[in-house]
Amino acid sequence: MSEIVTEGGLRELAGAWLAGGKRLAGPCRVKADRVFYRAVTAPGELLLASCRPDNSIKEFFFPRHEKLYGYRLTGNGVELFDTEEATGAQLVFAGRPCDAAALPVLDHVFNWDFPDRFYLQRREATTVVTFACVDADEHCFCTSLGLAPGAVRGSDALLVAAGDGAFEVRVLTEKGRALFAGRTVVSDKQGRVAAPPPVRFDAAAAGAFARDRFEDPFWRTHTLACLGCGACAYTCPTCHCFDIADEGAGSTGHRVRNWDSCQFDMFTLHASGHNPRAGQAARQRQRIYHKFHVYPEKFGAILCTGCGNCGRNCPAGLGVLPLVTEIDDGKHLQA
Amino acid sequence: MTENIYKPDLMEVMSIRRETADVKSVRLRFRDEARARAFSFRVGQFGIFSAFGYGESVFNICSSSNWRDRIEFCFRRVGRVTEALWDLEEGDTVGFRGPYGNSYPMEEWEGRNLIFLGGGIAMPPIRCAVWYALENRQKYGDITVVYGARTVGDLVFTGELAEWARRDRVRVVQCVDPGGETPDWKGEIGFVPTVFERAQVPAGNAAALVIGPPIMIKNTLPVLDRMGIPPSAVYTSLENRMKCGVGKCGRCNAGSMYVCKEGPVFTMEAVARLPMDY
Repeated sequence: MSEIVTEGGLRELAGAWLAGGKRLAGPCRVKADRVFYRAVTAPGELLLASCRPDNSIKEFFFPRHEKLYGYRLTGNGVELFDTEEATGAQLVFAGRPCDAAALPVLDHVFNWDFPDRFYLQRREATTVVTFACVDADEHCFCTSLGLAPGAVRGSDALLVAAGDGAFEVRVLTEKGRALFAGRTVVSDKQGRVAAPPPVRFDAAAAGAFARDRFEDPFWRTHTLACLGCGACAYTCPTCHCFDIADEGAGSTGHRVRNWDSCQFDMFTLHASGHNPRAGQAARQRQRIYHKFHVYPEKFGAILCTGCGNCGRNCPAGLGVLPLVTEIDDGKHLQA
Repeated sequence: MTENIYKPDLMEVMSIRRETADVKSVRLRFRDEARARAFSFRVGQFGIFSAFGYGESVFNICSSSNWRDRIEFCFRRVGRVTEALWDLEEGDTVGFRGPYGNSYPMEEWEGRNLIFLGGGIAMPPIRCAVWYALENRQKYGDITVVYGARTVGDLVFTGELAEWARRDRVRVVQCVDPGGETPDWKGEIGFVPTVFERAQVPAGNAAALVIGPPIMIKNTLPVLDRMGIPPSAVYTSLENRMKCGVGKCGRCNAGSMYVCKEGPVFTMEAVARLPMDY
């Protein structure tokens, strides 16, 4: 037996959530062939089904643009003031498990030593409801990262399609239980998760290659096509680099943070003109090196969930999967 | 609620000294008295200084940690933030976050001879350690400072260099690149590595701090090696670009180090283990 909710029931749940003055976000079909995660103001805007949006849910925890505080110049003094921080309850529907699975990985960097309250407040206030995948495409490689189409990491509840617009509700946390309390019916329907995509590479081997073969010509020969556009980082659920800048006019403004990417040439440019990562190959290498070697060494978690967004959105056919499968096919691993 | 780690302290500009045509050093004190009393740091640590409306920049805190009433930083005018800092006047307000990062092992260096090698705008992060050593003079052996810049006009803290040279068991060697001298220049002419080797500094029981442009560091290391100073006794301060200073923003990584957290101070032994990413 299982607990079941219908798509209509989910919309009612979403409507009640919004009616409570709380924030809601999830997949939306913005064009015939485009699905994006967005904050919504009506449940009808949501695409409530397993899907692969072009972006990730990280922006509901770590927005692409965020005010850190405000400043006001007063003579030769300065007053700093807090900006309104969105701390209220938030419900996020994740179209697939690899988006939610990124959150516990991101928690490490935002929490070590200097806790980042902007991120942590949103994490605390957010309930994540995830749709298990019903299929995989050629860019998917979650199984190479130890995940699966029905992975539960980072989710408060998992919805598994059970046919006829119904979902089996698998409650995972207290937040998930509270959300679905009284909204499910007992049924003998069973959800069906997609068959897992094949394991495409050995993530540990990729990390070891990046560490041991830092100067290998592989990086140059395999990343020549990179345009440095940063689409991989912006659509990645785990990439979290940011810039801090001032935006204001006259005597008042805000210090803000904006998403940034190691794929941009100015990312590491020194004031002297020296750039430790002077070419695009070094920047592509950094992306693999950080995800598969640095982050695991520092925080014990790989900074990748196998969502495939980098490959799906790359205009040059690069991304984690194409690069790392080249590493792991063995010919680059021989001494 | 957790504090906002990005929000700076407000500091008042006490005084400004123009060091060269494009370098100034600035002396600051906390506007908040309780914060001033609670504040401490260790030489070698850095701060993030801001000109509101323009942004933040990372500089070493170049004053000694014994100077309890103030901190100092020094900058070259090269970009948006430093252009704004250039226009500061006494009494103005700047933002300060820090202290961040690790520091020089001043306790470990006790009982040893200290060799400081600096190039150009790298004097400020050396200056804090020199003053600290001079203020704890009996704990350290001979102190040698070799400092070079492109031209005579590019040398910073020149008054203090002269003052150090008058102290007991302190030797200061100044040099400028060939062509950078003036008719009345009394210092050496040449690059830091060659001038240092010519200076025949006794190397026994020495710790060295080498900060400067990559080419200076690269050419100085073989000299230190020939003198028998092991890489584990040679220190530097890496200058990877940073934004957050607190191990979040991702841009200061060198190898698996977050330079803002595990650095900026490394031994050359540790640097040699890093990939070329700095």
